[in-house]
Amino acid sequence: MPTTIPGDPMTTSAAVASARAVPAATTTSAVTRAPRRIDPTYYWMVVPVLALFAFFITLPALVGVFFSLTNYAGYGDWKFIGFANYVNIFKDPAILQSYIFTFVFALTATVVVNVVALAIALGLNAKIKWRTGIRTVFFIPMVLSALVVSFVFNYLFSNTLPVLAERLGFTPLATSILANENLAWLAIVLVTVWQAAPGATIIYLAGLQSVPAEVYEAADLDGAGNFRQLLSLTLPLILGYLVINVILGFKGFLGTYEIIVGLTGGGPGMATQSVAMRIFSGFTGGDYSYQMANAVIYFLITLLISIIQLRLIQRRGVAL
Amino acid sequence: MQRSNRETRPHALSAVASTARLPPRFPQRYTRHNGPRAVKGWSTAGPTSASRTLSRRSLLRMASLAGAAAVVPVTGCAAGPTEQGAVTTLRFMQNKPEVVGYFNQVIRDFEALNPDIHVIQDFNEGNFVPGLVRNDPPDVVTRGFAQATGDFVRKGIFADLSELPEASTVDPQIQDLVNSWGQYNGHEISALPFSLAAAGVIYNRDIFDAHGVAVPTTWDAFTAACETFRAAGITPIYGTFKDPWTLAQGMFDYVSGGVLDTAEFFGSLNAKGADVSAAAAESFTSNFRPVLPRMLQLASFSQNGASSKNYSDGNAAFAKGQAAMYLQGPWALSPLVAANKEVRLGTFPLPATNNPADTKARVNVDMALSITRNTPNMAAARRFVAYLMEPAVVNAYNEKHAAFSPLKGAPPVTNPQITGLAESVSNARFYQGAATYFPPSVPLHNYIQSFVYSRNGDQFLAALDDEWRRVAERTAV
Repeated sequence: MPTTIPGDPMTTSAAVASARAVPAATTTSAVTRAPRRIDPTYYWMVVPVLALFAFFITLPALVGVFFSLTNYAGYGDWKFIGFANYVNIFKDPAILQSYIFTFVFALTATVVVNVVALAIALGLNAKIKWRTGIRTVFFIPMVLSALVVSFVFNYLFSNTLPVLAERLGFTPLATSILANENLAWLAIVLVTVWQAAPGATIIYLAGLQSVPAEVYEAADLDGAGNFRQLLSLTLPLILGYLVINVILGFKGFLGTYEIIVGLTGGGPGMATQSVAMRIFSGFTGGDYSYQMANAVIYFLITLLISIIQLRLIQRRGVAL
Repeated sequence: MQRSNRETRPHALSAVASTARLPPRFPQRYTRHNGPRAVKGWSTAGPTSASRTLSRRSLLRMASLAGAAAVVPVTGCAAGPTEQGAVTTLRFMQNKPEVVGYFNQVIRDFEALNPDIHVIQDFNEGNFVPGLVRNDPPDVVTRGFAQATGDFVRKGIFADLSELPEASTVDPQIQDLVNSWGQYNGHEISALPFSLAAAGVIYNRDIFDAHGVAVPTTWDAFTAACETFRAAGITPIYGTFKDPWTLAQGMFDYVSGGVLDTAEFFGSLNAKGADVSAAAAESFTSNFRPVLPRMLQLASFSQNGASSKNYSDGNAAFAKGQAAMYLQGPWALSPLVAANKEVRLGTFPLPATNNPADTKARVNVDMALSITRNTPNMAAARRFVAYLMEPAVVNAYNEKHAAFSPLKGAPPVTNPQITGLAESVSNARFYQGAATYFPPSVPLHNYIQSFVYSRNGDQFLAALDDEWRRVAERTAV
């Protein structure tokens, strides 16, 4: 069972870099070596960032919490109204629908992204021809901005695909799936997977490369087939990387915004309104305090999910 | 005006970025500090002359903005006024990016006459609310008038202009359109109309002539014309359902404005407040039912695959003569002509009933001039507004941009693209679109799109009643 996920989980590239360099011991050596005297350099590294973080993220967030208790529109007069915004949110079916959509979307996207990314990583880790070139091709979607990608796919779904489908006589796709209230979310999942799979693939590749070749040799000698090796050796040995991918992916997909804006704009009808889009509408809609209350509720929900995920991970002996 | 609905998202992105940088001070009332001048000028999209690309200089700017943001809360109101020497700098935010050139010329003329005033034009309307949040709004603003701007008026964002001599030059019926959104303190004039846009059915004169179809004045004549075109293999109406705002300003506004008295309907709905239920006499369910079948009939006259076409697809296709009619406002005229110089266009108000006397045009006050209440440059701002309201400036603008002048005794329109609406406008047979009465927090456009696809009218009207009641509930407290 792998025990340590090295590197900062927030940045995948950092995770890869350090995973290649030092797989095991990245816990700060200062702590283990000299617990009494701490080098002030570390404070120089941490304190400015902490101050910036507090000023640019924590403070505005607290201001937002404060205004969620008022009827502030973002400008003009306001007064305290207690928890009325929170009460109203629970009575709003449109908000509820956006929560259902977001969670279904995030779950689906997480599963599909990880399956696809693992398959790609296994393929790219094998000794195949032109491996470096193929790897580069697979990582291109990661470089492109999600908004650009979604506008390109918007064009493909609305114009190219219907024309092709009509030529080939395949009627279900002859009208744009973005205009179909029941199928539009699948288009969003598809584009999200296309865009997010490379990031997950990099982490899986790092994990696959950390598995020593000897275990496969031993398995070969024991007569285990390829599928058995994948199931009993590879997967358990890269479990930590899988956990990282699932947690980061799920967290990211809960905040999904720009791909939906580029593809459907929340439509057709109300079919693909994510929670982030509803919260954002408060800034332009004069509904600032109401959507701030929505944001606070959403924050608490994601916090709860994160805590549950962390508990599950710790039980499996994987440390973040 | 409707088009701003399309713009909200990209602009809003920058809006959040800037609000995140600067936490709003907690305004007891909306007061303006003279202090944070360091932020001023950086906080907008920048003057039009500045390059909009991301250069090293703009990166430095952003860095200095972040630095300024860090300093402002500490230094507070220490900085001095804006005047450099004797020149006052005014910030003028106008809401139509496509008319920047016209206003650049107007500003040059104004500055030549008033060398002590320097005007910076900003056309990024999305910066207005963040400017309010930072207590640093522009000095002079133009806005389209609808629910959202009405909310600014009711919150006292704009100064009273009733004492400006130019206020009396405006046609009172058009000033009433602005005032109908509410007046601060019950009597103030918060904005002077600068341009009135009238919308109806844009039609291709060549296609109408070729099939011997006259401009219809009743609903039956209109549907008969659509059948004629369809029988001839021509799409009667080009549909762009992928952009839900086109459905809202088109079929929803045109049919409801022709069938109902929208001003009266929303007046009594607002008076009812949060008590409105679907069963109430004021509700959408009780009033909008006759509107829905006609909307669906209009939708059925659109081409196949309208649900995957957006506004720019529609402009390109209609300009090439792929349909006889197009439910769009005057803002579509110049893109249409740009796509095909030869196209001969006209506009007529949609007859929504069989009584020609009922036919009305959809209008909106596309630009109205306001001064922000707490501007430190009030005298200069008033001089600039007075100049902008001169008949030469107003009438030239409206003639050039296919709109109607709001001034008394304005010359009649001569542009053949909009002459079909002139009679309705001059007789004040017009209405403001039903969609413009909705608060922006109701995703009305999406509901309309949903209705056109699902054809479920009960669900649509019930959803509108629900949303209206919920917004009324939470804004009433």
